Amino acid sequence: MNRLFLLFFLIAGMTSRLHAQSDAPNVPILSGAVAFQGTTNGGATSFTPIIVPVFVAPLGDHWLIESRAEVQGFIARENGTTGPYSGHFFANLDYLQVDYIANPHLTVTVGRFLTPFNIYNERFPLWIANLVDTPIIYPIGTRTSGSSNGGMFRGVAVARPTWNLTYTAYASTLTTTENLQAGRAAGGRVGLFLPQAGLEVGASYQRFLQNGDSNITGTYFAWQPPRIPLDVRAEYAHSPGGQGYWLEGAYHLAATRDEDTWLSRLQVVGRIQQFFKGQQPTPADALPAVDVNQFDFGLNYYLPHNVRLNGSYGRQFSSAGNANIWNFEIVYRFLFPAWPGGHQ
Amino acid sequence: MRTLCLTLLLISLLGYSLKVFATPQTATPTPKASKTTANKNTAPDPGEQKFKENCGRCHNPPDSLSPREVKAVVRHMRVRAMLSAEDEQLILKYLAP
Repeated sequence: MNRLFLLFFLIAGMTSRLHAQSDAPNVPILSGAVAFQGTTNGGATSFTPIIVPVFVAPLGDHWLIESRAEVQGFIARENGTTGPYSGHFFANLDYLQVDYIANPHLTVTVGRFLTPFNIYNERFPLWIANLVDTPIIYPIGTRTSGSSNGGMFRGVAVARPTWNLTYTAYASTLTTTENLQAGRAAGGRVGLFLPQAGLEVGASYQRFLQNGDSNITGTYFAWQPPRIPLDVRAEYAHSPGGQGYWLEGAYHLAATRDEDTWLSRLQVVGRIQQFFKGQQPTPADALPAVDVNQFDFGLNYYLPHNVRLNGSYGRQFSSAGNANIWNFEIVYRFLFPAWPGGHQ
Repeated sequence: MRTLCLTLLLISLLGYSLKVFATPQTATPTPKASKTTANKNTAPDPGEQKFKENCGRCHNPPDSLSPREVKAVVRHMRVRAMLSAEDEQLILKYLAP
């Protein structure tokens, strides 16, 4: 822990010195979110306090150091639905990476980074995601921890006013160190983004290189029409352990995206998802052992000062038993400079 | 079969979206949403347009950030949200003129 603090201050100090040497001033920032979640799944209630700090330090004009950790507790009854509540805390390093922006089309990343399979893992941290629960197919393409240890190339291959073609290519090594787990894998993703239509489609591929090599594929799309406060997202993923999809729609109760009233701060969310067990499931897949269908309905309210309230109800149908899933969450998004003078 | 259905669905949505939204957006933003638009008859700031197209897909504009904080945030998003170099500069100018 002391080494982490030392590293933090070294980077922050180095960033501040570079600010003095550069025309464009740099300052490291500390961002992230604090949240408290409550869940009742099939009658078993649990509570989860979470803090997710994000540290970002630009260095000069081409370098960036960024990191995100996750410290959370899990408080639940000892026997599921009976017994006294007990809890434990655990921490995880989601990413700690060094990025070099080589040119307008290429960024080179080394270190620990979020596995870029489809879009949910990279783009929807808890302060962005519309629903508390991650999709059932989330473990597909992101095992073993959602993070990879290795290197990555990424960027915008082609940038035009009406369309962008983006890509990532990465390789990760097997790591079993506690809190830093990663699978041995290689893969990539391509995406086509049409900014004027607010539409993005893409595909992912991963070759998982352990426990018997396997191919994992996925597709995604996201659509945010410019004039309507609607947000539609979907993913499909396939692995030997199973396949499935989720489709989510979220709508602010407003006529336009620019409207800001008490009603427009209310967001209605719906999600359907299906999962189909594969031919070669293993416990390491972290996927359900049976086919599952689920729908979720949620209401989110965006309060001033970056505070959001989430509430949702879901119904899960499977041969292992149907279940009601209730969630609530309050999340606060913060951002402040991590070095004196950053507010200037 | 499911893959085929999903592919067809994606292609349909792509076609529909291109048809409906092929015309560049010229709608004037509300004064509240616009930081730089002087009146309703002028075109939106290109940086604001890029902010809406890219950043606005996931979150609202930040409440108040200093230019130095903005620079760190936009660099972060350049890498994380796959912003193009041109969009990065336009958004930077919009948020920290």
